[in-house]
Amino acid sequence: MKKFRNEYTKETLILPIILIIIWYIVCDVFQLIPSFMFPGPTDVANSFVRLAVSGKLFKDVFDTLYKVLFGMLLASVVGITFGIILGWSKRLETLCKLVISILRPIPPIAWIPFSIIWFGIGIGPAVFIIFMGCVFPILISTIDGVHRTDPVLIEAAESFGASNSQMLTEVIVPSSLPYIVSGLKVAIGIALMCTISGEMIGSSSGIGYMILTSTSLFDTGSTVVGMLVIGIIGIIFDYIFTKIQERIFW
Amino acid sequence: MTFEVENVSKTFVSGDSDEEVIALKDINLTIETGEFVSFVGPSGCGKTTTLRIIEGFEKPTEGTVKDDGELVTGPSNQRGFIFQNYSLFPWLNVIDNVIFGLNINGKPEKESKKRAMEYLKTVGLEDFAERYPSELSGGMKQRVAIIRSLINDSKSLLMDETFSALDIQTKHKLQNQILKICKEQKKTIIFVTHDIDEAVYLSDRIVVFSRRPGMVKKIFEIKMDHPRDRQCQEFEDLVSEVIEMIGEVEED
Repeated sequence: MKKFRNEYTKETLILPIILIIIWYIVCDVFQLIPSFMFPGPTDVANSFVRLAVSGKLFKDVFDTLYKVLFGMLLASVVGITFGIILGWSKRLETLCKLVISILRPIPPIAWIPFSIIWFGIGIGPAVFIIFMGCVFPILISTIDGVHRTDPVLIEAAESFGASNSQMLTEVIVPSSLPYIVSGLKVAIGIALMCTISGEMIGSSSGIGYMILTSTSLFDTGSTVVGMLVIGIIGIIFDYIFTKIQERIFW
Repeated sequence: MTFEVENVSKTFVSGDSDEEVIALKDINLTIETGEFVSFVGPSGCGKTTTLRIIEGFEKPTEGTVKDDGELVTGPSNQRGFIFQNYSLFPWLNVIDNVIFGLNINGKPEKESKKRAMEYLKTVGLEDFAERYPSELSGGMKQRVAIIRSLINDSKSLLMDETFSALDIQTKHKLQNQILKICKEQKKTIIFVTHDIDEAVYLSDRIVVFSRRPGMVKKIFEIKMDHPRDRQCQEFEDLVSEVIEMIGEVEED
């Protein structure tokens, strides 16, 4: 099977370094852009040190990660469970098909108004929006994984006398696992996006909240710190899931 | 008496044209316990379909199959089935693949693994117990698939072109192993193959199928003692006789 590689080498560092140098020259050396429009690297570094020393950054990162993982966990439990059931039963899949097809394209942030009405302010709305954003990719890839189970493997297990439940646990689930993990990998990206949107509206904590509030205080340095932190969290998750995929793609 | 195939017919409806294709017509066969029977015939003659119906993977359109007097309604662990290719579970290593059937049937794992190692030794794969199927060659995978079925002590083994992808040395070695096991354990074996030499070497009877619709054209009985000498006149005559019969079938 195909190998997943996302190795970062010295070459991958060249462009970021060039960009930072240009950025430094434009914003800090010649001050072509006022810092309330866009901060220079020095502003960003200062903001980073201030946020890191005060502990606010770690609190916000922790807060955001907590919501992401909580929302993902709920979405995984629901998405994988129903994915296996619907993948297994053609009849139930047909029954649910239209509902899923209509709900799926609704952008998760469209759920923001209801999430606030139902869950108020706090982690509730963000978790709900993450759930709505992640559950469909996980559901669809799980259904796909079940469908792609090699019929020869199912027949082999049948010829050993596997019961329906054994078929599920010993054949269907392990064989769908690579597809489920691919779904989770897609979902974690969506989860990050949803969290930030959710935090900008129905929340009083997290990186999204920090990004929004610092701009209104003209602290654009903190805004960029927040944005970069999200990017870095994204890379880390991507790396983790790629490692998992390497292990389970046989 | 192990298998009774009575008046089995199978009709497929081909997808795009709604045309009915008669794959099998009035197959009648009785296969005794401990017998080694090969199905041969031109491609598309329904020999594999017959094998799959006997296992219970497919239902006949008409007729019945009985295994020891019991009607076959679906696959069973009493009938081991060895596929042509690629039937190992890719997420399990070799030894876990071999004990899959034993695990499913609730046998204690420690004992199963010990037995699995003995079986792996017989096919020279004891050093590969911890490897995954993706790390094995085609011939090695097939040897694992064969012992995975053998270890379950099913009363019969149904083999669908099981040796066709193997090199000739491995093939001959496994043929002898299968024969030995079949005779020692009185297993009934039904063997679908394209290789007439193989069919004559192994079988007590060879069933020749005709094409479209698949019917039993002729049954050869082979009384030669094992191990059979591939070079002797009788063997060679039989091989050409069977090939001729298939050729005739093909011309019809």
